[in-house]
Amino acid sequence: MRMELSEVVWLEEHDLSLAELAEISGLPIAVLEDLVAAGAIETRPLHGAAGSSPERFGGTAIRTARTAQRWIQDFEIDARGLVLALSLLDRVERLELQLRALRARLPDGRR
Amino acid sequence: MKYKDYYATMGLERAASEEDIKKAYRRLARKYHPDVSKEPDAEEQFKAVAEAYQTLKDPQKRAAYDQLGAHRPGEEFQPPPDWGTRFDAGAFSAEDLDLADLFAQLHAGRGRPGASRPRAGMDYEVAVPITIEQAYQGTQVDLELNLQEYDEHGGLRRVPQSFKARIPRGASDGQRLRVPGKGGKGANGGRAGDLYLNISLRPHQWYRADGHDLYMDVPLSPWEAVLGTTIEVPTPGGPVRLRVPAGTRAGQHLRLPGRGLPHPRSDEHGSHGDLYGIVQIVVPSVVSDADRALYEQLAASASFDPRAHFV
Repeated sequence: MRMELSEVVWLEEHDLSLAELAEISGLPIAVLEDLVAAGAIETRPLHGAAGSSPERFGGTAIRTARTAQRWIQDFEIDARGLVLALSLLDRVERLELQLRALRARLPDGRR
Repeated sequence: MKYKDYYATMGLERAASEEDIKKAYRRLARKYHPDVSKEPDAEEQFKAVAEAYQTLKDPQKRAAYDQLGAHRPGEEFQPPPDWGTRFDAGAFSAEDLDLADLFAQLHAGRGRPGASRPRAGMDYEVAVPITIEQAYQGTQVDLELNLQEYDEHGGLRRVPQSFKARIPRGASDGQRLRVPGKGGKGANGGRAGDLYLNISLRPHQWYRADGHDLYMDVPLSPWEAVLGTTIEVPTPGGPVRLRVPAGTRAGQHLRLPGRGLPHPRSDEHGSHGDLYGIVQIVVPSVVSDADRALYEQLAASASFDPRAHFV
């Protein structure tokens, strides 16, 4: 049987509106707005655009929003706890990245 | 249909209170949730716990579950004859249905308002480990998934799906790719779910990746390090010759620009990360008599003192 070949999209290449992010992540717009206001989800920088332009989001926002949706569902976590947990997750991921980078630089047998 | 003991999964007695169920779920979610757990089988364990909780936390679903009676886990069983009607399970066939799917569609037969509203298909995430060579060249991976979909009556069913996904060159460790519309199918005009591929790089015998840069150990003999030399080293794009300057020290990084992994969307000649060779000075474990004589001659005449700074 010949299998269909599916094309993938880099998560970083996405450019989404708030409504599109809500649809993809399954999070209500109100919750997303709270997360954006608290800085847990970052908007895409607007180059040379007017201040009133609607907010756009990159692919990493999909990841964060999907994690938030999962935690609301699985941990029954409230908005304040969610913002705290997401910021701690971000910190853990940055530290893991640094650890991986340092390990790559260590000669074999010292990692 | 195979029986699952939801109470045993959550470590509860059948007479557990709603508060007991909630507490047990919180404890187990903390222990097994894949986002926080380091347990090897965390994902499977959490799925089982979440499935049990979805039914036991809802008094109506719990009553329907209790009416199925107690069986051994994994035992084939049939719900009592009037069970489907009493609990609004809708039309279902016990042969090809999972217990979780049956409870997910409970009350579907009621014809309540909104039963025919559009429902989005489920999103799925899968881990896709690839080799450094596959990340360098791009690859195709075969994926086999058991997707949950709505049938024409609004009931849930499992549908095995196999397909290939193209992983473009330039994927790096921890990167995520989205395959739009390849998750579960939606119902009543709802959008299909998406599939997310979590890329990880398999450990390699030579290379270690940091983003698109690669690191590898480059062993040198003591005389190569002192005198300098030109050596051949492997790179993902093929072997290259590397000039080692005289007086190279252990731990020094020799940089090979553009010999690391390609950046996303770069073509054959597009930008790549760098490859760093980390020098290791390796001494022979077996020394011939002739070599020993040369070392002794060197030791007697050399003025180099590696511990001069101790004085």
